[in-house]
Amino acid sequence: MEEEVVRNQYTDVQKQEIFDKEFMPHINAMYNFAYRLTLERDDAKDLLQDTYLKAYRFIDSFQQGTNAKAWLFRILKNSFINDYRKKSKEPSKVDYQEVEAYYNSEDVDRQITPDLRVESLTNMIGDEISNALNSLDVDFKTVIILCDLEGFKYEEMAKILDIPIGTVRSRLHRARNLLKEKLSEYAKSMGYKTA
Amino acid sequence: MPDMNKMKQDCPNKQECLQLLQSILDGEATAAQKETFMKQHLQECMPCYQNYHLEVAIRGLLKQKCSNEAPEELVNSIKEKVIKNLGC
Repeated sequence: MEEEVVRNQYTDVQKQEIFDKEFMPHINAMYNFAYRLTLERDDAKDLLQDTYLKAYRFIDSFQQGTNAKAWLFRILKNSFINDYRKKSKEPSKVDYQEVEAYYNSEDVDRQITPDLRVESLTNMIGDEISNALNSLDVDFKTVIILCDLEGFKYEEMAKILDIPIGTVRSRLHRARNLLKEKLSEYAKSMGYKTA
Repeated sequence: MPDMNKMKQDCPNKQECLQLLQSILDGEATAAQKETFMKQHLQECMPCYQNYHLEVAIRGLLKQKCSNEAPEELVNSIKEKVIKNLGC
C-alpha cells in the first residue's frame, strides 16, 4: 500500500504550529499505545520520544488537513516493529503466520465461543481487562487498541497496519474472541459462573 | 426491551451475527444492516441479544480501564527536544 509522498516545505513557525496543534494533542493516546506494545514504562517512554522526534523530522511529508493521529500511530507501530521488537529481551516465539493460519481456520470460531456474562464483567473492577488485553499476541492487541480504544475506522487501521481491510475485520473478530476467552478464564477463577 | 419468553434460545448463525454486530458497533455497517439487525434480529434472538450487551460492556470496560496518560515530565522533555531541534 504505497502512498504518494508529497513533500512540503514548512517554515519553522509552521512546523512548530503543526507539532503543537496536530501532534501533541494525541500524546496520551500514543503513550498508551506504546505502553501496551512494550509493556514496560521505560521502553514506552523511549518509543514515544523516538516517534515524536521522528514525526518532527519527517514533518514535511505530513499533509495538513489529513489525519495526524493515524499518521502518528503508523510511525509508532513501524518504530516498534523495526526497533523495539528486535531488541526485546524475550522476542515473541510465536510465528505470526502460524497464528494467523490457525485463527483463520474454519473450526476455530466454533471452538472459541467463550461463554461470558455481562454480570461477571461488572465484577472486574481491578486490572483484569488490562491484563487480558496485555496478554494477547501483539497483532491482536493492536487491532483492539486501534478500534475499541482509539476509534479508528477499518480503512484507517488498514493504512496504519499496512494490511487489507478484510484482514482488519477478521483479525478484529478473532482478537475479540481471544479477549473474551481470557476474560472468561478470569471470571472462572473469580468464581463467577460463566454460563 | 424484548419479550424474553418469546425469544429464540439458539442462533444458527451466531458467529456471522457476531461479526455483523461488531461491524455495527464499529460504525462500519450500512444503515439497512443496522436497522434489520437491531430492530428485528436482536429482538427475537437471545444469544445475539446477550452478545450485544457483552460487546457493549467489554468496550466500556476497555475504555474505562485500559488508558494511561503520558507522564508530564516526558511530555515536557519531548517538547523541549523539538524546540532545540528548531534552532538547528
